[in-house]
Amino acid sequence: MTEPTAVPPADMETKKEGRTRLPSLLSGPAGRNVGLVLALALICVVGVITGGERFASIDNLMVVLRLASVIGVLAIGMTFVITSGGIDLSVGSVMGLTTVWATTWATQAMADDLHWVVMVFTAMAVGTVAGLVNGAIIAYGRVVPFITTLAMLASARGLAEMISNRQTQRVQSDAFIEFFRLEPLGVPILVWIFAAVSVAGWFLLNRTTFGRRTVAIGGNAEASRLAGIKVQRHTLYIYGLAGLTAGIAGAMMLGRTTAGTSTHGMLWELEAIAAVVVGGTLLIGGRGTIVGTVVGVLIFTVLTNVFTINNMSTSAQLVAKGAIIVAAVLLQQRFANRSKST
Amino acid sequence: MVTGDPTAPLLEMQGIVKHFPGAKALDGVDLDVVPGEVHCLLGQNGAGKSTLIKVLAGAHQPTAGTIRLDGEQIRIPHPVAALEHGIATMYQELDVVDGLTVAENIYLGHELASAGFTQRRQAAARTRRLMERLGHPEIGPHQEVGALSAAGKQVVSMARALSRDARVIVMDEPSAVLDSGEVDNLFRVVEELTAQGIAIIYISHRLEEIRRIGDRITVLKDGMTVGRNLPVASTSTDELIKLMTGKDVEYAFPERPGVPQDAPVRLEVDGLGLGDTFRDVSLTVRAGEIVGLAGLVGSGRSEILETVYGARRATAGTVTLDGRTLRRGSVAAAVSAGIGLAPEERKSQGLVLDEPVYRNVTLASFARMARAGWLDERAERKASQEQAAALDLRPRDVERSIRTLSGGNQQKAMLARWLVHGCDVLLLDEPTRGVDVGARSEIYALVRRLADAGTAVLVVSSEIPEVLGLADQVLVVSDGRVVHSAPAQEIDEHQVLDLVMEGTSA
Amino acid sequence: MSARKNLRRMLGIPAALAASALLVAGCVSNEPPEEENDSVSQDDGSGGTANDEPGETVTIGFSAPAADHGWMGAITQAALDTAEQYEDVELRQAEATNDVNMQISHIEQFINDGVDAIVLLPFDGDALTEVALDAMEAGIPVINVDRELSSPFASRATILGDNYGMGVSAGTYICEQLGDQPDAVVAEIQGIANLPLTQDRSQGFADALSDCGLEVSTQVAADFTIQGGETATSNLLQAEPEIDAIWNHDDDQGVGVLAAIENAGRDEFFMVGGAGSLDVMEHIQAGDSVLQATVVYPSTQAADGIKLARLVAQDKSMSDLVSAGVPRTIQLHAPVVTADNVDQYMDLGFRS
Repeated sequence: MTEPTAVPPADMETKKEGRTRLPSLLSGPAGRNVGLVLALALICVVGVITGGERFASIDNLMVVLRLASVIGVLAIGMTFVITSGGIDLSVGSVMGLTTVWATTWATQAMADDLHWVVMVFTAMAVGTVAGLVNGAIIAYGRVVPFITTLAMLASARGLAEMISNRQTQRVQSDAFIEFFRLEPLGVPILVWIFAAVSVAGWFLLNRTTFGRRTVAIGGNAEASRLAGIKVQRHTLYIYGLAGLTAGIAGAMMLGRTTAGTSTHGMLWELEAIAAVVVGGTLLIGGRGTIVGTVVGVLIFTVLTNVFTINNMSTSAQLVAKGAIIVAAVLLQQRFANRSKST
Repeated sequence: MVTGDPTAPLLEMQGIVKHFPGAKALDGVDLDVVPGEVHCLLGQNGAGKSTLIKVLAGAHQPTAGTIRLDGEQIRIPHPVAALEHGIATMYQELDVVDGLTVAENIYLGHELASAGFTQRRQAAARTRRLMERLGHPEIGPHQEVGALSAAGKQVVSMARALSRDARVIVMDEPSAVLDSGEVDNLFRVVEELTAQGIAIIYISHRLEEIRRIGDRITVLKDGMTVGRNLPVASTSTDELIKLMTGKDVEYAFPERPGVPQDAPVRLEVDGLGLGDTFRDVSLTVRAGEIVGLAGLVGSGRSEILETVYGARRATAGTVTLDGRTLRRGSVAAAVSAGIGLAPEERKSQGLVLDEPVYRNVTLASFARMARAGWLDERAERKASQEQAAALDLRPRDVERSIRTLSGGNQQKAMLARWLVHGCDVLLLDEPTRGVDVGARSEIYALVRRLADAGTAVLVVSSEIPEVLGLADQVLVVSDGRVVHSAPAQEIDEHQVLDLVMEGTSA
Repeated sequence: MSARKNLRRMLGIPAALAASALLVAGCVSNEPPEEENDSVSQDDGSGGTANDEPGETVTIGFSAPAADHGWMGAITQAALDTAEQYEDVELRQAEATNDVNMQISHIEQFINDGVDAIVLLPFDGDALTEVALDAMEAGIPVINVDRELSSPFASRATILGDNYGMGVSAGTYICEQLGDQPDAVVAEIQGIANLPLTQDRSQGFADALSDCGLEVSTQVAADFTIQGGETATSNLLQAEPEIDAIWNHDDDQGVGVLAAIENAGRDEFFMVGGAGSLDVMEHIQAGDSVLQATVVYPSTQAADGIKLARLVAQDKSMSDLVSAGVPRTIQLHAPVVTADNVDQYMDLGFRS
């Protein structure tokens, strides 16, 4: 379209570049993940020293991974929401709602007639719809995400209690329970699902237009809108995605507990947010990392594991969790400042 | 180069060096300021002006060098220390708090208080006195700052400096957010302040302003002082530009090749209106034509552009592109039809600052380059690199964060975005805002080249000479209406100003 | 507050089971946390039998919901104190949690660690059944406390309170006091109305009252919280100008109930509590309030669970039973505490 004009030699710039490359590499996404993995490794070292064989065993690894998997799937969805500059406080209670809806008498009867997968799809559909409702209110109703999802947190929990009459609903299908007890290659199916969702999430965030839009909207929603991105519609999709992951997590929770109840997922929104933020996703949006989120989830679950193995008190564990969150955010800010001042 | 000074310097900075990790922002800057003068600081973007004033404001610590105030060496370890020394800084992005009142803003951080209770009445009285002294008695102490105009906020910022008994006030491009009437008032205030012995360090790109109020000039280039204490009256523009750029530069507009009469109409706006903001705006832009909208701040010119683009939903009229009418209020429709916008507030409306250059360049087109939803980053980089080369983007590296680029290069990246996307109509809102003198001519040349390639360009600027120099056709906007339309050669700055004033008073 | 509100399921009480349970309950149900006690232990047998002699050291894993309710705090503390008494018990206490995902993980941890027995007070009996089955399959006996798991194969032994019995005890006491007034107004303040345990308590209460020709005039639910107790009771007192007796299911929420009664300045009736907090027992002892009695829902169940787990792991039997091995099910007695016998029960009271 345009012919290039005469280009003056840009030797000065290249020099500058060479000088700034090194620190920018350390403060880049790879550097942050290295820091996180180091933190995780440190906790593991403490685990090995204090717990020995009890910590460093394949069986214990599986205990940790199983514990991490359900909350991990929630955190993947949360990563997208936070990267887009939003927040979803409702994922925990939406997950509870999906477990209840998927185990109602009617759903189970249908599952009995057709296939147990009906329950899984029910959970995913209920979660997605709840997420889309969040998204519609935020995008088109222009209500801030915090308030919208806070309202959803309350109403999803309430709806779950109404549907279940505050009773625990057992999963009747043995095939369903059997499926979630499978351990292909010695690894529990829940962990496989978590891995699959993480990989899918990574590709979605880093390799697709969906992910690019998410990052762009989180970085500057107005600029994205003025570049022709349909910000409202995309916001709707993002919360729908978070709802979908809540539904998947709900199905996993059913597999793990064989029961649906309105109390499932209590306070998990906070755990998911903590894992995402510790993982390096900026709470103000514009930068998200799936790898970081996975490591963030693992840091918290391994920490719990180490404390349990050492018979240490709950209270000390909460203090440690709090300290980790603050430390992670402080580190983030330091990196953020450094990358801005150059 | 130093000229003898009649007065002892109030503020002396000597050999200031500032290193950042991986970069040297200042590499030996000297500056001295005498009481009661307006000392202009000149230099291209990236020359080190911002870093220097941050050192002076206590926001940065110099790596080397000395600062003397009244001949005594001082340290400025933090911003409060700067204020205690009587050095106040008015940043370009005015650091006032919108939600607080005028008085609260002025006394922010040094509230008048006794026993923990703020002395509201006393603060209000002092605020009134300050406002009178600044020639703005109409700004009351209890007005909310968010409701004030940019000029009003600036006055508040100045009042704050005075409330601290400042002896040196640094003003970073104070006129950038003002229109001409407000600039006059600013200069009146500046003269009043200097008459009281206060020294002003004045940073501006506009040489004509410097000629009007400046006393002496210090020129920075690449973090070094290259011209020191040059008297404004006896230094030629050519000399200044030579010092700033290191080479002789013609500050010039590209030639107009003339739009052929048979060039097709690309953009047609008919009877467009937006509530009370503007009404009945009709214009056409032909392929290869640059149409300029001239008008004061608040005349509705930016809003017209944004409404054409669909960023605001029109309440009347139509926008037609190549014969097809666009859906109202849809940016996505405008973009896919082939309209691009380089917005006025580049940082807040145009760029995703933490993302690399290439992703900013492809922000409007990555989805089209993608295959079935999968990004094609290689194609994105390639297209961006091509544009970076074509537009002479400096640095050429498309991987670095766009935040690190100068204003001119950020603007080039905005143009590159629409070049990659391939648009037929380009809307430019204040295309040279925050762009330094050297880069301006480049932007002008680029815009003209785009037009020559068949793009229809609609440009808005508050700098009347810019509109007159760049556009083929000039529309004068006043009070939400187009009051005049003429070929650029047939109208001059004086006429435009007359029309603007007339329209406003009507 | 979550102690009994939560989804525990009791499928009624088979009479025969109840009978045998009450029998064996005598040995263990009132075993206080401290060795030196003058409490009501119907016999002193368990205090100093050969069973208490140190045996091989056993590791017991203990997992319970978060102690966010006075009764739940007491139950955990009693378990810890009991384990402390035995030098041959190494107790692993998992983080107390209301998150079933976490609690499942703790049990998995215990299985990996190969503990000798697990004492499990599940947050949700249904949700923990699978992992309890895993433990049993791995050869680790599970002692289920208070909230029943949904499979009989999921535990080696189960210790339960007697919710129906609580209702019966409260109803019988009120009958004794009001038996001669067939028109007496009796009010009932439930916990969470639709929980099975609440329904069991109310059923027992109604059954006992009907024996002396009384019936419940008004029923309100207070959600097991102090705040709920205050609100529900204020409304109740407003609705019933003249009351003869109140049974409040839960002493933790009873703090709110008493506050509402004080605020209303009412004292024409007497009240019977439930669960047996120390606070309530002190009121009974002092006779300074409408509280005349309370029905014990033992907060020592988990402590009993530790003792049973130790016996099971050491392959011992219960000393006062002839049969070999520890019984499958133990249901604890729900005695009425009044001013006459409160001294005996003070040590069992828990701080709410």
